[in-house]
Amino acid sequence: MNNANPNKFANMATLAAFGLSRRGVIFAAAAGATIAFSPLAYGAGTIKVGLSGPFTGGSSSMGVSMRDGVKLAAAEINAAGGVLGKQIQLVERDDEAKNELGVQIAQELIDKEGVVATLGYINTGVALASQRFYQENKIPVINNVATGTVISKQFLPPEHAANFVFRISVPDVIQAEMIAAEAVDKRKFTKLAILADSTNYGQLGREDLEKSLAKRNLTPVAVEKFNIKDTEMTAQLLRAKEAGAQAILTYGIGPELAQIANGMAKLGWKVPMIGSWTLSMSSFIDNAGPNGEGARMPQAFIQEPTTPKRKAFIDGYTKAYNVDRMPSPVSAAQGYDSVYLLAAAIKQAGSTDGDKIRQALESLKEPVEGVVTTYNQPFSATDHESQALGMAVMGEVKGGRVSFAYEEDRKDAAKVRTKPKN
Amino acid sequence: MDVFIQLVVSGISVGMIYATIAFGYQLTFATSRTLNFGQGEALMLGAVVGLSLMPVLGYWAMLPVVLAFGLLQGVVVERLGVARAVAQKSEFGWVMSTIALGVIFKNVAENIWGRDDLKFPSPLPETPVVIAGAHILPMEFLILAGALAMMLAVELFNRRTIWGKAVVATANDSDAAGLMGINTPQIVTLSYAMSSMTAAFAGVLIAPVTLTGATMGTALGLKAFAVAIIGGLTSGLGVIVGGILLGISEKMTGYYLATGYADVPGLFLLLLVLAIRPDGLFGKRAIKKV
Repeated sequence: MNNANPNKFANMATLAAFGLSRRGVIFAAAAGATIAFSPLAYGAGTIKVGLSGPFTGGSSSMGVSMRDGVKLAAAEINAAGGVLGKQIQLVERDDEAKNELGVQIAQELIDKEGVVATLGYINTGVALASQRFYQENKIPVINNVATGTVISKQFLPPEHAANFVFRISVPDVIQAEMIAAEAVDKRKFTKLAILADSTNYGQLGREDLEKSLAKRNLTPVAVEKFNIKDTEMTAQLLRAKEAGAQAILTYGIGPELAQIANGMAKLGWKVPMIGSWTLSMSSFIDNAGPNGEGARMPQAFIQEPTTPKRKAFIDGYTKAYNVDRMPSPVSAAQGYDSVYLLAAAIKQAGSTDGDKIRQALESLKEPVEGVVTTYNQPFSATDHESQALGMAVMGEVKGGRVSFAYEEDRKDAAKVRTKPKN
Repeated sequence: MDVFIQLVVSGISVGMIYATIAFGYQLTFATSRTLNFGQGEALMLGAVVGLSLMPVLGYWAMLPVVLAFGLLQGVVVERLGVARAVAQKSEFGWVMSTIALGVIFKNVAENIWGRDDLKFPSPLPETPVVIAGAHILPMEFLILAGALAMMLAVELFNRRTIWGKAVVATANDSDAAGLMGINTPQIVTLSYAMSSMTAAFAGVLIAPVTLTGATMGTALGLKAFAVAIIGGLTSGLGVIVGGILLGISEKMTGYYLATGYADVPGLFLLLLVLAIRPDGLFGKRAIKKV
C-alpha cells in the first residue's frame, strides 16, 4: 500500500475540489487504492500529448508563453484526476521556428512517442510543413498560436475524408479585417501604408490586409518590405511619409516592429501604428519603449482579470512562472485553452483514438469554459476555427503593457464573447 | 531634397557600422592572411557583455572592461582556432574553426542572455538633431566619431609603438620579420586580440541604435565581410568608403526603387568589384608567387 500511485491523491484532490465530506474523501482514497492495483491505471497510466513550439529564437516569447500555459492547464487537469482516469503527459519539443525541425519533431512524436494529439505551433511555416504527418496518421493537431489563414484549410473535406487540423488562434484573415476596420471605418484614415516583413508570415498577412482594404475601395499609398534583423527603416518610412500616409499598418515580428517605431521617432514623424497581434510582443514593447505607445493590434486575450476564470489563470501563471507581465498573454491563454479543449474531447470520446478525438472535437456536447472564450460547439466537420470576427478586441500599448484600446471593450470584457453557432 | 539628404545621412550611419566591423577583418588579414569569420559574434559578445555591465558601471566606465574582454576573446579564438591551422599550413582549417567558434559563442550567448532582442540603454539623448533637414540621432554621431577614433588609435599604435612596428613588419613580410627576431606567432595572436577588441567596441557603440541580442552579429558580420571585400582587405580607407558606399546604396535603392530590393545593389557591387578589382577598390594587388 505504501507505494500507492499518485492517482490516489489526485482522486482525493478531485473529490475535495467538489466539496465532498470527509467520509467521501476516505471513500475516494479507498477507490483510488483500488484503481491503483487495477491494470488500467497502472499499465496505461498516462496520455501522451505532443507539444511543439519555438522555445528559443526570435518568436520564443510566444512559444514559451504558450508552453507555460499548456503546462499550467495540464497540471490542473492532472491534479483533478486527469482524463479518463489517466494523467496527461506532455512531450515537449523545441522546433526553433524551423520548418525542417518541425517536420522531424512531428515524425518523432508520432512514431516514437505515440502521442494521441499535438498542441502548438507558433509559426505558420512550421505548422504547414508538419501538419500533414498528423493528417496521414489520423492524429489531431490543435494550433494554438499560428495565425496563417491557410493553416486549418490544408486538408478540407471533401478532398480529404476528414481534417485533423484545428485552430484556436485568430486567423490572419480576421486580423487583417480588424486592422482595416480600425484604420478605415473607425479612425477614418484614407491614406495607409503597409510595412510587412519578407517572411511567409509577413507576406501572407500583407495579402490579407490588401484584400481587406480593397473591400473598402482603398489601395495603400505605399507597400514596403523589410527583412528580419534589419536595423534601419529610413527608406521604408520615408516612402510612406512622402506618399502622405496617415497611419502605418504592420505585419512583422517584435524586434523589427520596434525598429519601425524607433525609426519614426528619429524622423520626427509620428503617425499611428496599427498591425497584427505581434505588436503585443514584449520584444516590440520593450525595444520601442515610449515610441511604441499607442500601437494597436487585435488581441484574443488581454492580461486583465475580467472574469473569475481569467483571474485564476493570470494569478496561476504569474505565480507559477514568477512574472508580473506575461511575455505573450495571448499565446499563454490560447495554450491553456487548447489543453482543456483536448481533454474535453478525449473525455467525450471515451478513448484516445485519434479519429474518435477528432469526431469529438467536431461535435463537442458540453461547453468548455476557457480563458479566451467559452467554447460552445466551436468546431464542426467543415469548420475548424474557434475564432470568428467580433470575438477578439483591439488592444493598445499603454504604459508598457497591452490593455484595451476602447473603454467600452473593457467594460464589456466580463461578458465572454463567444462564437456564433455554426 | 530633404529626403535625399536624409537617405545619405542614414546610409552613412549604417555604412559606418559596417565599416567598424570590416576593420576587424583587416587586422588579422594583415598579419596572418587569415580572417575571423566569427567577427559578428565577437561584436555581439561585446554588446551583451556591455549590456550586463551597464547597470553596475554605466556606459563610459563599462567601455574599458568590454575592450579588455574583447582582447581576451580574440586570444581565445586565435589560440583555439587559428594557431594550430596556421602552424600546420592548413589552407582552410582556420575557416572552419573560426566559423565553428562563432557558432559556439552564439549558442553560449543564447543560453546566458536568451535569444530575444534586448534594449541597450542609450548613453546620449534619443531625440534626433536636425541638420539641413536631415534627422540624426546623437548616438549616430558617436558611432561615426568612435569608429574614426578607433581606427586612428590602431594606426597610431602601429606607427608609434614597438609592438605596433612588429605588427607592421609581420604584415609586410612574415618570414623576414621572423628572421629579424620578431616572434610572429605572438604578433598574430596580438592582431586577433586587437581585431576582437575593435569588434567588441563596435558592439557597444552600435548596440543602442540596433538592438542587442545573441543573434545581432550574424547578419552584420556578413554585410561587413562584403564591405571588407569591396573596400579591400588591406586598406583602412577602403572599408570606410566601402561601408558608406554599401550603406547609401541600400537606402537609395530602398527609396527610389523598392524596399524589397534594398540589398541587391550591394551584392551587385560586390560581384562587380570581384570581377574587375579582386583586391577591392583600395586594395593592394597581391602577387602570389608559386
